[in-house]
Amino acid sequence: MSENHLTDEPAAARAGAAGTAELAARTERLESLYDAAVKTLFWGFRLGAALLALGIVVALVKGEPLGHEADPIPDVIAMVRAGYASGIIDLAILWFMLTPVVTVIVVAASFWRLGDRRYALLSLIVLAILGASIALALNR
Amino acid sequence: MDIVYSLEIGAVAAVAAILGSMLGLGGGVFLVPILTLFFGIDPKFAVGASAVVVVTNSVVGSTNHLRIRFTNPRLAMLLQIATAAGAIAGALYGVLADPRVIYIVFGAVLVYAAVSMVVRSERRVTAPPPGAPDTLRLGAAFRDPAIREEVGYIPINVGWGMGVGVGAGVISGMLGVGGGVVMVPAMNLLMRVPVKAAVGTSTFMVGMTSVATAFVFYSRGFIDPTLVVPAIVGVFVGGQIGSRLTRRIKAQRLALLFALILLYLGLSLLLRAFGVEMPGQA
Repeated sequence: MSENHLTDEPAAARAGAAGTAELAARTERLESLYDAAVKTLFWGFRLGAALLALGIVVALVKGEPLGHEADPIPDVIAMVRAGYASGIIDLAILWFMLTPVVTVIVVAASFWRLGDRRYALLSLIVLAILGASIALALNR
Repeated sequence: MDIVYSLEIGAVAAVAAILGSMLGLGGGVFLVPILTLFFGIDPKFAVGASAVVVVTNSVVGSTNHLRIRFTNPRLAMLLQIATAAGAIAGALYGVLADPRVIYIVFGAVLVYAAVSMVVRSERRVTAPPPGAPDTLRLGAAFRDPAIREEVGYIPINVGWGMGVGVGAGVISGMLGVGGGVVMVPAMNLLMRVPVKAAVGTSTFMVGMTSVATAFVFYSRGFIDPTLVVPAIVGVFVGGQIGSRLTRRIKAQRLALLFALILLYLGLSLLLRAFGVEMPGQA
């Protein structure tokens, strides 16, 4: 019994290591997906932060008070075009909120390119659910 | 812009992020109670601000977890269907709910977080053998820098995990928190996902969950830029300080202190629901 236990333990460890190697290879096949998601999040944050900084500077320079309620989405672009700091800040907030949505699109496209139709479809279902919340905001 | 007010909110958000980062709970768990209890801000505006902040935090935090492969994208997308749907339902209820309901649910979540901090449990995951059943192809591996080894795992109990995900989404939608406080233990204890992979996957997921919450609160006019902007800046700065402090101080040594803070905030919210204000609160 104890001898079996001693011989089984290294065997289980070897099997575990082989199983892990198999899973590591599967994970590495998703490299392009990981890279695309990282780039989307990285640049999404940087562009959002730049917009936010621009909005704060414009608000301080113009002495423009910010409203206590973000403008409805259809009005935001018009506010930005008119040079209102509040429009730029609303756009920055929306940009931050849209970055994970864009990431879901990128992940879905990456799964599709890698031939993983099942997870591409699941990602599109997530996108549809997030799209429902965006539709609510658009109909404010 | 009211500079003093913005600085106050930014400082509070930074403190919330430092505490959240050291505990791995995210800033929202502290931000909403502090804004409502000490600044007298309407809980719905606090929840709306917190949801946007959680999105931003996730965007920043996820990049690192994705780079080191702690995030499992297949598991994230599968569970996200449940959490995002739950978040919309929770948020739709949250924007209409009596603030007392939000105080009670938030208070209960904080008391739960305080208790689970003291009674911390973690399941060690054993590596699966080659060809182990994985019909959903959710198995993955990552290199754990602490033990300098590849760690492989295959999540189990996926249906239960999705069920918990709906609950986590509802809580996230109602309260503007990320839901990691529920999903990380669920993934580890229930689905046998190693803690690091659970944290990486959850960090990626909370951004998407909170997007659903944030857009619902946006749709009802509960996103206040004078609150959101300093909170984003404060949480970003606080998160950086928190992650540096975490490397120097073992957060587990301060577990009791943090648990007491969570308990104080939780009980304060529960008392607020019944019209009782503790001294020093707005």
